Amino acid sequence: MKRIKILKPVLVSNQQRARENRTFFDRMGSLVINIIASPGAGKTSFITNLVKRMKNIHRILVVEGDIKGQIDSEIISKLGIDVIQINTATECHLDAFMTAQILPKIRKRYDLILVENVGNLVCPAEFEIGEDYKLAILSTPEGHDKPLKYPLLFHLSRVVVINKCDLLPYVDFSIDSAKKNIRKENPKALIFEVSAKTGEGFGEVIAQVEKEINAGKKKSQH
Amino acid sequence: MHEFSVTKSLVDLCNEEAGRNNIEDVKKIHLKVGKFTGFSPDSIRFYFEHLKVNTRCRHASIVFEEIAIRIKCSNCCKDHTIEDPVLLCPACGSDRIELMSGREFYVASIEGE
Repeated sequence: MKRIKILKPVLVSNQQRARENRTFFDRMGSLVINIIASPGAGKTSFITNLVKRMKNIHRILVVEGDIKGQIDSEIISKLGIDVIQINTATECHLDAFMTAQILPKIRKRYDLILVENVGNLVCPAEFEIGEDYKLAILSTPEGHDKPLKYPLLFHLSRVVVINKCDLLPYVDFSIDSAKKNIRKENPKALIFEVSAKTGEGFGEVIAQVEKEINAGKKKSQH
Repeated sequence: MHEFSVTKSLVDLCNEEAGRNNIEDVKKIHLKVGKFTGFSPDSIRFYFEHLKVNTRCRHASIVFEEIAIRIKCSNCCKDHTIEDPVLLCPACGSDRIELMSGREFYVASIEGE
């Protein structure tokens, strides 16, 4: 019997593939945001708001990850921008290999690629896909305790968007408590309050995304 | 649910490493799992029993070793081991925290012949 030291991460192949995807996206000059939230938190409505306000200035691609169907892709394609659907079949998250399958379909340069992950607060957090960063959406009806119940996602997300703020008068949700809970997992998180229904709060989100797109362009010119 | 693909990666990695090290029959896999990961040992064991069939790991069992969440506070310069992943210093309450351990998920070693 022999014992061999391995010391390798279990997800080493996913991490490697994610790095290759990232290299591809960087070469194309695309900012890639991995959008993660529970089902019904408003991922598609959030993306719709960004696209409507940014599509005349920037080239945008949306990647839709769903277990089944094309409902969200059909919604997004009506906005007149490119959409690629990934159906994960049995998997509850996107991983780097599924993402790699769409790379041959990307034939144009996009400034911004918005990836809508499968609706789930747990699994998508563990799998890098080659994104610049993760953006978590927390909607007010879900409750302000969710960052403490699903700490990993909030720990790993550079941006946290609190959505459905128009429902605040009707739900037991405290913005202050939510922010405190997010900061307990991630003191550096950038937190935005929006309503994808009314469009409130999107100006600040877009200003942030614009800043990142421009910073990326500057970087790729050097 | 994501443990299925995670366990598939685990079996693939151990199978490949066993082959590279001329181990035909893996008996034990020593797996380190940080407490700030979302992986359930029970689910991994469940999927492992199915996925190990017809691989070099077919007779193997997994030995889990949990790694605690450790944080270092830049304010009071102390290290703390914490139970829940709340990144605030338990001594001074500061959020100037560096996560030292807890996110690990790797194969430490394999045993076999």
